[in-house]
Amino acid sequence: MPASAATLAFLRDVRVFEAFSDPDLAAVVDRLRERQLRKRQILFREGDRGEEMFIVQHGTILISKAVTGKVEQVLVRVEPFDFFGEMSLFDGSPRSATAQAETDVELLVLGRDSLQAMTETTPRAAAAFFYAMVQVFMERLRRSTHQVAEATRWGLEATGLDVETR
Amino acid sequence: MERPAPAKFELLVRRDGDEDFELRQVASVVGYLNSRPRRVDPESFEISELRSSVAAAPGFILKNTTTERFLLLSAHERFLWEQMDGATSLQEIATAYVLKYGEFDFDIIPSLLRKLQRGQLLTFEPRSRLRQALARNRGHLVVKAIEMALTSLERVRIASTNVHPFFQRLYRYGGFALFTPAAIVACVGLALVSAGAAVALSREMHEVLEGFGGRALLGLVAVKLLFFGSVALHQFVHGLACVHYRRRVREFGFTFLHGFVPTFYVDVTDIFMASRRARVVTAVTGALVHLVLGAVGFIAAAYAPVGSFTQAFAAASGIIQWQALVIALYPFCFIEMDGYHVLVDVLGVPTLKHDALAYVKGLLTGASRMRLGREEGLWLGYVVLSTLSVSAFIAFNVWIIASATS
Repeated sequence: MPASAATLAFLRDVRVFEAFSDPDLAAVVDRLRERQLRKRQILFREGDRGEEMFIVQHGTILISKAVTGKVEQVLVRVEPFDFFGEMSLFDGSPRSATAQAETDVELLVLGRDSLQAMTETTPRAAAAFFYAMVQVFMERLRRSTHQVAEATRWGLEATGLDVETR
Repeated sequence: MERPAPAKFELLVRRDGDEDFELRQVASVVGYLNSRPRRVDPESFEISELRSSVAAAPGFILKNTTTERFLLLSAHERFLWEQMDGATSLQEIATAYVLKYGEFDFDIIPSLLRKLQRGQLLTFEPRSRLRQALARNRGHLVVKAIEMALTSLERVRIASTNVHPFFQRLYRYGGFALFTPAAIVACVGLALVSAGAAVALSREMHEVLEGFGGRALLGLVAVKLLFFGSVALHQFVHGLACVHYRRRVREFGFTFLHGFVPTFYVDVTDIFMASRRARVVTAVTGALVHLVLGAVGFIAAAYAPVGSFTQAFAAASGIIQWQALVIALYPFCFIEMDGYHVLVDVLGVPTLKHDALAYVKGLLTGASRMRLGREEGLWLGYVVLSTLSVSAFIAFNVWIIASATS
């Protein structure tokens, strides 16, 4: 278990744990697992089953979604202190995108059982976690909306389609 | 308001290895330059010339016969309209425009595209008749399999856009020697010696090709494989010539042309910024690879034991290489190879093949009348010469294959 001071210090800067008290944070640390990926290793693929979310400690993770054949669109790069994979954590749905290490990566893993335990044993911390998570979801929704608009702009620019004066 | 930067996608392209990938930034401008606008079918539009006693250049009225909408086009716009055949990319159209008018107007293509789209005179349907026929019969399992295979092959493209430093090194460490007077003398010398060898071999061609014995198929496959390698070498020399004239090699790669013809390619379009001499040298030197390899083949065949497999292989390679030289440099064969580009560059008619085929098609269908101008003569001459040349080429190859396998 990585209950080190360094991990505690690291988690304080992770958005969803910012409002945690020291004892609650220590309890979270006890429930986290460490995982390492070598450069280019695939963590999970789109469509895989999953019940865990991941927090990036070191390195970069590429999140991509299949577009056609062997081509995928890079949706986001997950940098240290940020997290991904939380959708499957909540609803157990298949992974909506593929996660692959762009560099050598160190991750912290939070499973569904650990989340359940946190909700039961430290409800205040769990509430803070969910509140922060909703804020992150809203930011990501805004980013997705922006990406849809950018994709439309790409299509209009690439075809030279003039819709203003039509 | 400040115009935003072009929209951009970051794409991850997987390689054969499961975890291996390449990241590519694709800006909308790349999609734009590679788009292939296609005008609507000929029965959906009419175009007529509008002469003016005041304006020096004629204008043109373009009518959409389906929507009854009219557009006024300038001569420059009409030229661009004629290039929009669904097979030519905007980048190629812009190049043709520069070659024809010696200048470029950065607004003319976007504004014409907007105008044509408003007039519903452009379509996004696929150009290839084969692909259209396949799409119509997708219900059949075999047709669907062919279509999927073609689509998969079309996607095969192994290329790098960061090849210029490599070509620069190649040039520095010996490639420069190809562009010296000594190289020209060596080339001419080799050509003369090997021509003598080829003539001598041609007198006993049957005996030479009998060297394949019962391994004719193996021989032909080996010759074709060697030829495939020489195509890569051909492209390398184009790249070196581009570096020689201090222009940038933009891309080198491998792809399946039209979905089924495996080929190497090099993007040396930056050479258009250099002189005509540079363009001609760049076009011609690539083809000379086949002259040299063919010469080596004929000389080797002349010294090889008579009737041996080595002699047959060397002679057949020599023939294939020199054929490739002729095809690459001979402009009259309906294929837009190096010689064709040199010809249209020198004549200043970048759309020669397109215009010639359209004119002759019009004559054959009765849609246009025979005229006796200089341009019409050029078009007719191109089609007649190309038809004769292609027929002769096919006949020669049938003879070669029949000789090799009999």
